[in-house]
Amino acid sequence: MKISLNQLKNYVDINVPVNELCDRMVLAGFEVEEIVDLSESLKNVVVGKIEKITPHPDSDHLQICMVNVGDEVQQIVTGAQNVFEGAYVPAALHDSYLPDGTHIKKGKLRGVPSVGMLCSGGELNLKDCDYKGAEVDGIMIMDDRYPAGTDMREVLDLFDYVIDFKITANRPDCNCILGVAKEISVVLGVPFKAPSTEYKTVGGDINDYIKVDVENYDLCPRYIGRFVKNLRIKESPRWLKHCLNASGMRPINNIVDITNFVMLETGQPMHAFNYDELTGKHIIVRNAKESESITTLDGKEHDLTPDMLVIADGQKPSCLAGIMGGIESEIEDDTKNLFLESAKFKRDNVRKTGRKLGIRTEASGRFERGVDVVNVSYAMDRALSLICELDAGDVVDGVLDRNQGLPEDKILTVTTESINALLGLCVPEDTMLSILNSLGLPTTLENGTLTCRVPSIRSDIEGRADLAEEVMRIYGYHHIKGTAIRGEITRGKLMPQRLLENRIKTVMIAGGAYEIMTYSFIGSKATAALNLPADDWRMQTVNILNPLGDEYSTMRTQLTTSMLSVLSTNYNRKIPSARLFEISKRFVAKELPLTEQPLELPTMSIGLYGENEDFFTLKGIIEQLMAELSATVTYTRSSEPYLHPGRQAYAMLGDTPVAVFGELHPETADNFSCAKRTYVAEIWLDKLQGIEKEKVIYKPLPKFPAVSRDFALLCDIDLPAGTIESTIRAAAGKLCEDVKLFDVYVGSQIPAGKKSIAYSATLRSKESTLTEEEIERVAQKIIKKLEEIGAELRK
Amino acid sequence: MREQLSKIREEALVAVKAATALSEIEELRVKFLGKKGEVSSILKQLGGLSAEERPVIGQLANEVRADIDAAISDAKKRLEADALNQKLAAEKLDITMPGKSGKIGGLHPINTVLNDMIDIFQSMGFDVVDGPEVETDYYNFEALNVPADHPARDMQDTFYLSDNLLLRTQTSAAQIRTMKTRKPPIRIVCPGRVFRADEVDATHSPVFHQMEGLVVDKGVTMCDLLGVLEKFAHEIYGPETKVKFRPSFFPFTEPSVEVDVSCSECGGKGCRVCKGTGWIEILGAGMVHPNVLRACDIDPEVYSGFAFGIGLDRLTTTRYKISDIRLLFENDIRFLEQF
Repeated sequence: MKISLNQLKNYVDINVPVNELCDRMVLAGFEVEEIVDLSESLKNVVVGKIEKITPHPDSDHLQICMVNVGDEVQQIVTGAQNVFEGAYVPAALHDSYLPDGTHIKKGKLRGVPSVGMLCSGGELNLKDCDYKGAEVDGIMIMDDRYPAGTDMREVLDLFDYVIDFKITANRPDCNCILGVAKEISVVLGVPFKAPSTEYKTVGGDINDYIKVDVENYDLCPRYIGRFVKNLRIKESPRWLKHCLNASGMRPINNIVDITNFVMLETGQPMHAFNYDELTGKHIIVRNAKESESITTLDGKEHDLTPDMLVIADGQKPSCLAGIMGGIESEIEDDTKNLFLESAKFKRDNVRKTGRKLGIRTEASGRFERGVDVVNVSYAMDRALSLICELDAGDVVDGVLDRNQGLPEDKILTVTTESINALLGLCVPEDTMLSILNSLGLPTTLENGTLTCRVPSIRSDIEGRADLAEEVMRIYGYHHIKGTAIRGEITRGKLMPQRLLENRIKTVMIAGGAYEIMTYSFIGSKATAALNLPADDWRMQTVNILNPLGDEYSTMRTQLTTSMLSVLSTNYNRKIPSARLFEISKRFVAKELPLTEQPLELPTMSIGLYGENEDFFTLKGIIEQLMAELSATVTYTRSSEPYLHPGRQAYAMLGDTPVAVFGELHPETADNFSCAKRTYVAEIWLDKLQGIEKEKVIYKPLPKFPAVSRDFALLCDIDLPAGTIESTIRAAAGKLCEDVKLFDVYVGSQIPAGKKSIAYSATLRSKESTLTEEEIERVAQKIIKKLEEIGAELRK
Repeated sequence: MREQLSKIREEALVAVKAATALSEIEELRVKFLGKKGEVSSILKQLGGLSAEERPVIGQLANEVRADIDAAISDAKKRLEADALNQKLAAEKLDITMPGKSGKIGGLHPINTVLNDMIDIFQSMGFDVVDGPEVETDYYNFEALNVPADHPARDMQDTFYLSDNLLLRTQTSAAQIRTMKTRKPPIRIVCPGRVFRADEVDATHSPVFHQMEGLVVDKGVTMCDLLGVLEKFAHEIYGPETKVKFRPSFFPFTEPSVEVDVSCSECGGKGCRVCKGTGWIEILGAGMVHPNVLRACDIDPEVYSGFAFGIGLDRLTTTRYKISDIRLLFENDIRFLEQF
């Protein structure tokens, strides 16, 4: 809410500098977004009176003006042709600044010295509505109201500040000049001066001119109409135009300006109808009918639906209730008679209609935040008072006030003790009493109980907490002093899932991985880039109805695509290797379309590329994680379409896959512009929750030495190493301490279709030192069992 | 013979002393003390001596042998030490060359900051809880005192998944879930991801992170709120940090305040970081609105509470002076390595 400081001074004596005023308002709950010093926009530009004009000796179009600028006469060369001797004009002197930042200095034009420049309206950023004649072609010719030498800022009311107050959503009553002025009067402790609401009528009876019916009181709890005849449409006075400009509204004519000014002043939007354009002389507040439409003041045509409230005449919608008037009943220069509306419309209906039609106006914004039903008539009186003051028309007697009863003031009784208990302070009772009274909440105090009458304009005040806030923001939050919370001592605990994630992160970081964070929503086509079939569960996505764009439209069912995008970003920035992980959620709908909250399941992704990374570095990480989580898993081949068909696996916990990992399929790598050899894992942490960590019980250290035996084997290339290892372990039985793979070789010297694979088995007995014979016996058993699965000792 | 022996001794001691290699020593040992060495050959001649002379010369010969032996052993030690020193000198390394170690990765900076905050509040006895990111209209708005026609709904542009389901716009939704499942005393913080339909730019992200705090008990006051936030600010920004309340509005708290801390960059004198004000706005807070307590079946006449919501992303960008919030979600490794 932008307000001119000079305007505010009409209602309250502001006896402090503007910065202090703003600081104190901030402390009372009114944030100040901006303070604009209007006088900064123009410097050293004065009213000049042209005394003499002579042609320029070296130019056809330049003229030399001798200009009286107050104390002296200065020579200014101009190219404009509309100047004449005796004219009052704006003169920018040496070292002056114009609104667009232009710095004017003395100089020579074709050899003739000129101390400055005569200005056009455009150069002063003025339109006809700001100063009559400002848009003329040439220099702005002014009237003689101000003597030569007068600072143009005085002429243009620029010795003023515009303060932009940020009004919180709970204070619609302060979305206006009077609301802010009342708060200032409380904050500064100076009286508030209400503007006049008195007006004269010329007799007659409104009922002879027009009829008003409200069909839908739900959407329009109050509607007031007045009739003004013999309009005298003209330009508004300077003060009014200045006030509108300061608040960012364009002056149009006195009637329209009065309605806009009253809205700014009282917060109540008004609407002016050209009475003679109203068919049937009948105003009906009703829902729009099917296939009705309206052309609004901005010239746009809108198709209406029955959920929209309109102000119709006897035939058609004439105004979109609370949003914008129709072009047909617009007030124009020759409008004779006025039907003036002041009403309350239901806020969410105004919002919905405005959104649907894509219109938001100063008026609709105020209705959306809520206007006060009582203030509706106050604003009407104020508008009529201004119509009289500006002699804009003759007010006809009679008021059409349609409502279904007005609310009574709320009475709240609250003990001062309970307010202090909430605050943790001892605000004196009398202080509370005087603060509440000064805020327009008539309050009495008896035996420590405050009885407070809350008018409807402060509908935000509902009880003790609200009164505590009112007291506190005036009493001052600096009185609050920090205290320790009391009560029983509690131990802060983490949820099991967070503990699990912390363990995982420790392992990942120790392993050299960096944690990433990506958005929870991905592009609608991202999942499909994994080449998943349409019926895959990951393709059954939950979608955002109003996304920022297609690339942020789908809640992810997997983290891999986000990981691939990040790997791609790094790869394409020529970063040679990456080891990354993310822990977040995947969103899985219980059913589609969505009827209840989707499952949000903790999920982890890992991504690697670079010369030291391969399938087994990734598998190594998975193994470490599973060990940390005490998950005893087995590995089986998987068949994810986005992974290399021969280099991917599930980690299985029993029959449940808990992770899938492998090398990226070259096609997927292409889809995401990733490194050719990229490795990714997706780990479904929800399936790894709740595994009890095995209780640690000390095992005695071995007393007898271990021996190791190597087995260099030749077998079919497809015989899994896992099978060989488990065969060795089984054959060695309880003597087996460890089995390690230490070499795999395929190539020359090995028959085609075969591989050479070598293991080292460590054997140890708990009872004695193993003898040669015992060792040999076990070795032979191992060899025999290996032969049974097709692995023979290399000769 | 006597003279022969002293000559041998003299010759041997000189030779041993002059020796510069272990192999030389070994040769000298063989030459003087070996089976066929010079001392032995003297001893072999003992038989030709008189009975009186035999023990005398014999003793002398043994003394000579012992002397030479001792000299050889000393020389060996000396040469071995020399050899070791030479070897060590040859093994000298350029200790400015880099060490060999596996790389250690790192947490995302937002989580580093979050962990610090969790530590602070956990140590004050706050449980750390989580809530769903997809919320119902009821938990995100209705129960937080934002009914359907409330203008505060416009304060936050919300992503909808259906008429009734949305991406939570604030972690405050977790307040309700907590109060519906726990009885006072309640002390929780709920960190998490929140969503608002803000176009992406240097200071806005449609996905960001908050930590909600909630305390509900008998006799909880606004001074307690300040006490907790002061503790938090001292831990995060340093013990000199001042905390101040400014009145504000949130539908789910009453009274509501914005909380400013004195600028840690300039100590409150005013600088570019605090835009010359000396203060930085860090969070919104307030006393839990009675309507919110009622919605959770907690009697506002008996219990009171406070709540606060801290923006993690902002805290992270200020702490590390990150100029563009997009860097947090871009995940360039050269960025991640810095934390």
